Amino acid sequence: MNIIEIKGLKKDYPLGKTTVNAVRGVDLNIEEGEFISIIGPSGSGKTTLLNVIGCIDTATEGSVKVGGAEITIMNDRALTDLRLHKIGFIFQTFNLIPVLDVIENVEFPLLLMKKHTKSEIRKRALKLIEEVGLKEHATHRPAELSGGQRQRVAIARALVTNPDIVLADEPTANLDSVTGAQILELMREMNKIENTTFIFSTHDEHVLKYANRVVKIKDGFIMEG
Amino acid sequence: MELIFKIAWRNILRHRGKSIIIGIILFLGSLIMTVGNGVISGMDSGLEKNIVNGFMGDIVIISSKERSDNILFKIMGKSVETITNYKDIKPLLEQQDYIEAKLPVGKNGAMVINEEEGEPGYAYLLGVDFKEYKEFFKDNITPVEGTLLGDAEQGLLMSAKARDELYESMNVWFIPHGGKLEEANLSEDAKENLNSLIVKENPVFMGFSDNNSSSDIRVPVKGIIKYRALNTIWGHFAIMDIESYRRALGYFSSADTKIDISDEKKMLLESDDLDSMFGSESIIVPDKGSKDIDVDFTRKKLSTTEGVDLESGTYNLIFIKLKSGISMEHGVSRLNEAFSNAALSGTDPGVRAVTWKKGAGPIGNMATIIKGALFFFVMMLFVVAIIIIVNTLTMATLERVTEIGMMRAVGARKSFISGMFVGETAMLSGLFGGFGIIVGVVVVKLIPYFNITTDNDMVQLLYGGDKFFPILSFVDIFVVIMQLFAVTVITVLYPVKVATGIVPLDAISRD
Repeated sequence: MNIIEIKGLKKDYPLGKTTVNAVRGVDLNIEEGEFISIIGPSGSGKTTLLNVIGCIDTATEGSVKVGGAEITIMNDRALTDLRLHKIGFIFQTFNLIPVLDVIENVEFPLLLMKKHTKSEIRKRALKLIEEVGLKEHATHRPAELSGGQRQRVAIARALVTNPDIVLADEPTANLDSVTGAQILELMREMNKIENTTFIFSTHDEHVLKYANRVVKIKDGFIMEG
Repeated sequence: MELIFKIAWRNILRHRGKSIIIGIILFLGSLIMTVGNGVISGMDSGLEKNIVNGFMGDIVIISSKERSDNILFKIMGKSVETITNYKDIKPLLEQQDYIEAKLPVGKNGAMVINEEEGEPGYAYLLGVDFKEYKEFFKDNITPVEGTLLGDAEQGLLMSAKARDELYESMNVWFIPHGGKLEEANLSEDAKENLNSLIVKENPVFMGFSDNNSSSDIRVPVKGIIKYRALNTIWGHFAIMDIESYRRALGYFSSADTKIDISDEKKMLLESDDLDSMFGSESIIVPDKGSKDIDVDFTRKKLSTTEGVDLESGTYNLIFIKLKSGISMEHGVSRLNEAFSNAALSGTDPGVRAVTWKKGAGPIGNMATIIKGALFFFVMMLFVVAIIIIVNTLTMATLERVTEIGMMRAVGARKSFISGMFVGETAMLSGLFGGFGIIVGVVVVKLIPYFNITTDNDMVQLLYGGDKFFPILSFVDIFVVIMQLFAVTVITVLYPVKVATGIVPLDAISRD
């Protein structure tokens, strides 16, 4: 079953008097539970593709369905709610809330949902923190953690709402190779445990071995996958 | 909401430097406004207390012919209209159970003739039966030199301030009749001219009257006085016995009532229609010596008013004190209703009642004006504060673009972001502004215990009397809270606009 269906996606950015055609007509289907890597050189359009899928950027043309819902016609509020309930994000620079500790950062999306009791939220957050191996650091602030530990927190936060999809834009770019490999291993493991679809972008061919499907993108076109 | 306040509070602590700067501004603004309101309210209350108890009473009854209610310091020195029927009004006033006391007075300006061929002087005169005056305004004047007037004694109580002003214009220094020159009390200018100082005891007054009926009258100075409070204002007034006052103004005096004249002539004399007066050959108006000063007038004929029916003469105003708990507005309304019912509210010789605030004109509004000025000053302070706070918050917002973008990306709505910023600013306002208000209230409550008093005329204006007694009402505190609220709302508007304009993409773009 396709969790994402993309048809004829184009994305243009105005740049002064010219227009940059970041994505020039992409057709892509992704099935539930896949662990996909989008690979391509800088400026190939992989991040743009990820952003449109994640509802944080809009398509210029084409159709994008996430979980069966056409996102190109949604307003800001609907997109926000879709992100909250269906999508988890892992950023290149971790992007944790500096004034909240590890457990509070993980709880943050659940608190925004206002659907669960405090104890349910705490239980779910602690479970994920344990799964990403940060039980001992639950009350630490982001500034007290290493890069790898912060990215583990980001993974736990991305998964805490049981999203259908987790999008990770170059999650290992700011990590050393050993830590980067650990993070990818963790993502792979979480993909198996939670059966969540993982889509991550990278330009590092060494990480391809972790993906069960690789989509190669160049100059705004899908070349392979 | 709990999450919003948790993040807001921790952000305040995280950015301590900025928070403290914003907080200090809010603290000072609230403190200044609270204490300022206390001082102004104290001044307002002090002014009222001192004016009511020291000079005007709660209500002033004036002639219906007065166009303006402001009768204390009239524009261009225009004279105050007369009340010629006090004998009719008095019984009506005595029937009003809400009136505690009444005092009919004469009040007008007068020229002080310079017998040394120099410039004349000018003074405001308050003509009173001094016995009644003392009962009405207890202890509001103290003699600096000489004595106060005895019961039924005629003469003048000149204020020290008026004496200084008369010296400035006339170059004559007045002392009490039969007294000696007190060099210590001389003004600085008078001290410099001590060797050539002209000293006099019996100034000659010529009242300002719109109908040119005034007389020159010599009145002995019985004492030099100082008003206990607000001498800056009341010091312009010299207190004169009512009969001397009437003669200086050319009014119908009580002594005149002893002259047996017909009702027709009385009517004409009380009229200000000069054409009808001079058109009739039946009336002869005696020349009261407006050109030649009757030097012995006071000593021989007017040394006492004992046995004279003072109330049958002319007055300008009637001061009224209300019983405790009766509002001025209520008193004015009931009095005017009583005048109307008794057919005393017509134009001639009718009267009407006004509050002291209206009667005192600009002085009555002084507290309001100063309050407005303080409000404007604090609002300017708050405007500067708003600019600084908006700038600081906007900078803080721009520093947090990635964080806010991330929040939006993971599902935070714009309302959550707005709430976070409002929460931060509201906490700062509540904490520091609230502390400023509390400190202000404590300061205002503590000040009276220091028993701060002053003799300085200008400072007395600020105090509203001789004692510094700031007070705070709930309205004053509410106004400060509302100002703080307004500052919070205004300061947060732009940063919120910037913050809610941050899109999730910014979280990635900034990577």
